[in-house]
Amino acid sequence: MADVDEDVVQTPATGQVEVDLSDETQDFRFLNHLNFLSDAASPSIPRRGEKDFEPNPTEHQADVLSASRDAMHNALSFPRLHRPKTTIIGYYAPGGYAAQAELDAQQDAQQAKQDEKTSESTQKKTPPDASKAATKPVNVSSDACVFVPNPKGQFFKTLGQADRKNRVWLLPEEALYLLERGSLDIRWPSTSDPEAVSIPMSLQAAYACFVGHGGLTLERFSVYTGLKRLGYALVRAPGWSDEVEATEDTDPASEPSPPKLHGPGLAGILGSLFKWIHDPRKTASTATGPIIGFGIHRHYMDVYRKLAIIPWYDPVTAPPSKPSDTTPPFRVVFHIYKPSTPFKKSAPPAPDFRVAVVSTRDQTTMPTLPQLGALLESTPLDPPHGEKMQRMMYMRLRHGYRNVVMAVVDQGVVSYLRIADSAFGKEKLFENKGGPQGNKRGGRGPGGPNKPKRR
Amino acid sequence: MDSQPDLPIPISYVSGRYLLFSIDAVTYLRREHNICGVLIGTLPQIPQQNVFLGLPLELMPEEARLLVDKGVACIVDETKAHDSMNTLLEEDRRRYLRDLEAQGLHASRLHADRKEQQKEQALKNRINDKNANPKAKAAAGAAAQTPEDALSTPSKKDDAAVVDLFAAEDPSTPSRDASSTPTPSQNAMGITPATSYPPLSIPPSSSHLPAPVVPPSYPLFAHLHSRGYFLSPGLRFGCQYTAYPGDPLRFHSHFLVVSYDWDENIDLMDLIVGGRLGTGVKKGFLIGGAEKTLDDVESEADRVDSVRTFSLEWAGM
Repeated sequence: MADVDEDVVQTPATGQVEVDLSDETQDFRFLNHLNFLSDAASPSIPRRGEKDFEPNPTEHQADVLSASRDAMHNALSFPRLHRPKTTIIGYYAPGGYAAQAELDAQQDAQQAKQDEKTSESTQKKTPPDASKAATKPVNVSSDACVFVPNPKGQFFKTLGQADRKNRVWLLPEEALYLLERGSLDIRWPSTSDPEAVSIPMSLQAAYACFVGHGGLTLERFSVYTGLKRLGYALVRAPGWSDEVEATEDTDPASEPSPPKLHGPGLAGILGSLFKWIHDPRKTASTATGPIIGFGIHRHYMDVYRKLAIIPWYDPVTAPPSKPSDTTPPFRVVFHIYKPSTPFKKSAPPAPDFRVAVVSTRDQTTMPTLPQLGALLESTPLDPPHGEKMQRMMYMRLRHGYRNVVMAVVDQGVVSYLRIADSAFGKEKLFENKGGPQGNKRGGRGPGGPNKPKRR
Repeated sequence: MDSQPDLPIPISYVSGRYLLFSIDAVTYLRREHNICGVLIGTLPQIPQQNVFLGLPLELMPEEARLLVDKGVACIVDETKAHDSMNTLLEEDRRRYLRDLEAQGLHASRLHADRKEQQKEQALKNRINDKNANPKAKAAAGAAAQTPEDALSTPSKKDDAAVVDLFAAEDPSTPSRDASSTPTPSQNAMGITPATSYPPLSIPPSSSHLPAPVVPPSYPLFAHLHSRGYFLSPGLRFGCQYTAYPGDPLRFHSHFLVVSYDWDENIDLMDLIVGGRLGTGVKKGFLIGGAEKTLDDVESEADRVDSVRTFSLEWAGM
């Protein structure tokens, strides 16, 4: 009985073997089976293809390989096209918003007409923004380097920051992501004449200009774009910049304050009171006698409680006196929102996940315990809650009290690790009412601890 | 498809990483030099998934170094190269724009043609269906008015036909989002090119960066590569490199590769863990290192030749 349960814990994917198709190189011939020709909105993912064990000199194998390579060549040479009606054009501003604002002031007279036009067209879509445009405080990051004068379409719900003229400013990763997926046409700045035809930026130019700009590393971009492709919304976390200390993360104003004063804390106090009533004469002494002390023990519980002599750390009741400094790269750089989370870019809610990005070529060792501890301390308390968690101990342990996702990028291959601060000391197995077996019977539902570690 | 790009192939050095943007270079290196790299870009035709990725291709420093040492590639500081974008002559800009417009026109024309073709095909299919099945008579009339619906029919029914269409196409043929309203063929589509050459001219060899700095595992990497293995980054699988006997498109990997220095003490637990892991995923655990250090070899090639490898497998499982 007990063994069965432990097995489940060790192999979370029992029964259904999870296959991550992106784990291995996929045969691009299967891409052609995708029905994106008719339905671009919901492409189906192909099943994994058959592969051979090793090369042999048969012509058949050579033909199949060459077909695969041709399919790959075709798929990769697919151009990024913009329909004249739906194209969204952005302009690269290497100097960022501040420089562009200066430029605007100089060219105000010339641009007055054009601006009116722009604001008219956006007014229909975003009336509150447009009406308050003149008085609205400008909240454009200094790292933003592409502006879109006429933002339309779904993407700007989660991307970019608007300025006074209702242009949307994009951070380098946002601009690069949109350009790469063929949704944005970015133009080079026209140096001399603003009316001159500006030439479109190539993918190569976009990488050369945006990666390395404003703290964006290729690893961070790989994580950003990989999660965007899956539908998550991402915003930069305060720990993005190496110089800035990540203190705002634990700011009680921005995060919903965890229930520190009741719940487990109160239970702990009650527990000690209860203990004191139950056993007023502390006879136990590990130095001079049996650990459990002398006297009559009426219940196994007393014995177990006295045997628990190893100190443990309670993440709830032991608040960090002063959050220690996180060290890059072990620092939260992205806040991530699930597609189902209602996301407003002007006032982002509490994130669903926090991600630190680590490059294997710059950081070749595991993080030390102080580094991990500081990283976890920089995240808010997130105790397990909900009926399911109450019922299932292993889910509780797995969820932990603080958690952070570490994205390890090995030359473009991203692995996600969820690191949680589990409190084993809080889970007193001997206190479970029906004994260990009862807990296990009731504690494991069909979909219980099968939650995959990697997302 | 067997195009031969001009050598040496410029590898873009961007923010400390090595990237390739030219599809011809990517296929050429894969075909002729067993260099795969890792695709990290979004495919514009299906942008919301992570199974198939597109350009750019990220190369490990080892791969870039190997190609530079072979004289096949050179390293170009792409950020610096793009500084010359501002100094482009006006006439060059205009010529480039005209080229792009011509391509865009070509693309939209192909797009329109293709839609026509698909419509005809769909109608033909419907008529065939009607003949075969009298019940479909009523539906056939409606099908003519709803091309979106009909469009999906040929590709679903006949995968092979789609593959042929796709393979026979000019690479610049658009087929994205065929369900939307047809574009007037006279309007040129905007194009975001993959590379910046043209309009930029190929940087002179004097501006090339030195060969990439490589980790100590490079001799083993180069050794296995010279034996015909395809190597890709392996941390996700618990090793330094995964070695494939052929193109990873068609073959599973055979070895989990970890490099050690010649005189390095190896923890027995590492061998056991690696051996068990490798056997568990039907691969061998391969360790290796170069006997000669940098000091007592005449050339890097000599050092690569002095590599010895051992593979571990858990017997009796």
